[in-house]
This record gives sequence, structure tokens and C-alpha cells, in this order.
Amino acid sequence: MDVKHVNPFIEAFATVIPQLGFKTVKKGNLSMKNSELLSSGVVIVVGIVGAIKGNVVYSVAMEDAKKIASSMMMGMPVNEFDEMAQSALAELANMLTANAATCFSGLGISIDISTPTLLYGENISLKMSSNQVLCVQLLADDIPIEINIAFEN
Amino acid sequence: MEKIRIVIVDDSPFSITLLRDILEENGYEVVGDAGSLEEVKEVIRDKKPTLVTMDMTLPGTDGLECTRAIHEIDPNIKVIVVSSMMDEEIVKEAKENRVSEYIQKPVDPDELITAINRIMASEELYHLLETESFPVFKESLLDGVNRMTKTLLNYKEEYSTNTEHESKGLTVIIGIIGKFSGRMLIDLSKETAGNIAAALLRRTPKNNDEMVAAIAEFTNIISGNACSILNRKDKAYGLRVSPPSILYGDSVHISAPNFKTTTAIAETNFGEILINVGFTRGEEKWM
Repeated sequence: MDVKHVNPFIEAFATVIPQLGFKTVKKGNLSMKNSELLSSGVVIVVGIVGAIKGNVVYSVAMEDAKKIASSMMMGMPVNEFDEMAQSALAELANMLTANAATCFSGLGISIDISTPTLLYGENISLKMSSNQVLCVQLLADDIPIEINIAFEN
Repeated sequence: MEKIRIVIVDDSPFSITLLRDILEENGYEVVGDAGSLEEVKEVIRDKKPTLVTMDMTLPGTDGLECTRAIHEIDPNIKVIVVSSMMDEEIVKEAKENRVSEYIQKPVDPDELITAINRIMASEELYHLLETESFPVFKESLLDGVNRMTKTLLNYKEEYSTNTEHESKGLTVIIGIIGKFSGRMLIDLSKETAGNIAAALLRRTPKNNDEMVAAIAEFTNIISGNACSILNRKDKAYGLRVSPPSILYGDSVHISAPNFKTTTAIAETNFGEILINVGFTRGEEKWM
């Protein structure tokens, strides 16, 4: 797993997030994890095939997911994580991954992405195919979004 | 085949005549034309075309606003921009507004007809995938269970809904990528997963990791086999699968995607397995 592969995701975040009503974009921690991840809240899985094969999993706390959905819907209040809010978050994962795919192609790495699958719940264990998962925390107006990248070698 | 019904949006009567002639000479049915946003909305609602040719510069509006208005009425209507303006920026914007093809004026009849054929062939292929994919995935699950555990299964329910559902315990997600992308999802209780893993390993799994790895590979084989069968039926599908992701937790809900998926419940010797598959139509890659 090449640490450089995280850069297209950071770049995509910096491009997409400001278009969705957020003012600041910050980079948080970067870490390596084993293939088992734990999270509570909203989890969105996007598959990747091409020159690289794997999955990208976005994870956001429930209250933060509502804030993001609200910002994406022009500030409309989001009290429940309803169908509309779920669809907004799935679309966010789709936009971020598609944008990262464009950045990858700029590096001469051609990848295609699947449709996003969104799940939410408590104490979610997530097992990914790669032994090592690159995890980067990015912040949109101080709301943390965790991007877990698992590529097979 | 049914005649393809087309509406022409343009503010120039000359362009409308020219396009109408090209389209009618090639066997298409031009069912109407429009030159303003209001006319566009009216003719789309009234004529329900399959496809629209769209000029970019229109009085009081533009091609993109009209395209959005069309898709608000019916997101399945295909739009081809036919405009004298064409640069990278405008093409990118058109793509973001779900335009299927972009053609520059003066119109070359062959280019226009090729573009329409390309869009319609893709539509037809999607419908074919929509109808033939789910039986293939069901068959692949049945075949996989049979070959890997020497047991049979029965499908007791099949439905398409667009509401979320609660996981029974363990969810395996496989992303599908190709001409159309989608996903396959398997959901089962931990107990069922344990039973299947034991049958696959021919012994009780040593730990949770071993059980999860067995179920991941089981799901991977089923999705891979199903996609191979579909690719053999039509190589234009070009389907490939991403590695499985496995999730489990407390009261996990799986959200319904914004495209149609089909679900079936299989009764097996090990317990119930839910299989859910869907593909999104997506947009043509034309850049």
C-alpha cells in the first residue's frame, strides 16, 4: 500500500468540499490501521477497480453527517438522518471518489468506481480486504470525515 | 423496434428545419420543437419524447437550464446538445447537467445519427441488464451454495423496494464496475454466517476473523461468477467486481440507493440469506 495513494483523496476533498457550502478544509491525522475498523455513525463504501483494486470507506459520526447533509442542502435543517440526508451523504462519497479517480488518472493510474453503499448504526466493525488500511482524517469546517483506503497490491 | 420520438429545442427556424430533415430522413419521429423554457416544459410534458436535441443559446434561458427542466419532468429523457458553441468548459458543464452527447454546429448528419444510435444502444443494453442480471445472481448464489456446501436452497421472496432495511447481523458489500456500475450485497445473521463458514471450512471456524474471511470469499465467488456469466452474454457489459467489504454492528441499517435494486431471500440449510443487486444507468462516457 503506497502512502502516495492518499494524495488524490486529499486533493478531491479540497476541490469538492468548498463547492458544498463549507469554508475551510483541513487535514487531520494520517495513520495506518489493520484491516478491522470500528466506527459508529454513517459508513459509506465505494468499490474501486482498474490499475488499483480495493475499497474506500468514508466514516462520519451521525450528528456530523446531519450537519454535512444540511450544508449540502443549502442550510436546510436536518434533524433526522432521513432518506434525503442519506442520499446527500452517498452523493458526497460518490463525488469525492469520482474526483479522486480523476486525480489518479492525472498520475497515469486509471481507476473506475462503483456506486456507493451507505449504512449506519452503532459499533460497526468493518473488515476490509487489504491487510493494511490507510486512514486519513479530513475536516470540513471542523467536521471530521474519516477516509479509509484499502488497496490490494 | 418502436420509433424513437425526438423533440428539437432551438430558437432558429432554419436549424429546426435542418435537424428535422436529417432526423426524419433517418427514420426518427420528430414529435415537436421548442424555442424557450416555457415551450420546452410544455412540449416535454405533452409529447413525452425519448430524446431531445438541445441548442445552448436560447432567448431568456440556456440549454443547461432547459436540460435540467426536462430531467425534472422525466430523468430518463436523453439530451444531445447541438450547438455552435463548444469548448472544454461548456462541455464539462453539459456533462454535469447529464447531457448524453455534445455535437457542434454545423451538424454533420452522420455524427448526429451515430450519437443517437450510441445513446439508444446503451439504453437497450441497460434494460437488458436490468432484466437479465438478477436471475443470474440468484442462480449464482444457488450454484455457489450447492457447489461449496453440497446443499440446496429455496427462494421464498423477491421484491424491489426503495426503503432502507435493518441488517440481520452481517453485511457483505461488493462494488460492481463496468459499462454500468452497481453493487451486490449479501446480508445474513451471524448464526447463519457461522453455519455457512463451518460448511465451507468443513469444521467450526476458529475465531470471528476466520468466519468473516470465509463469508467474504464466498460472496466474492458468487459475485464474480455472476458477472462472468453476464459478460459472456454480452461483452459490452465489461463487469468487474471490487473486493468485498464486511460490516457488522449494532442496529445497522442499510440505506436504499437512488437506483432500483432487487432483493431475494434464500432459505438454506444454514439459515436465511438476503441477496440484493442493482445497477445504475449512469451516463455515457463521451469525453
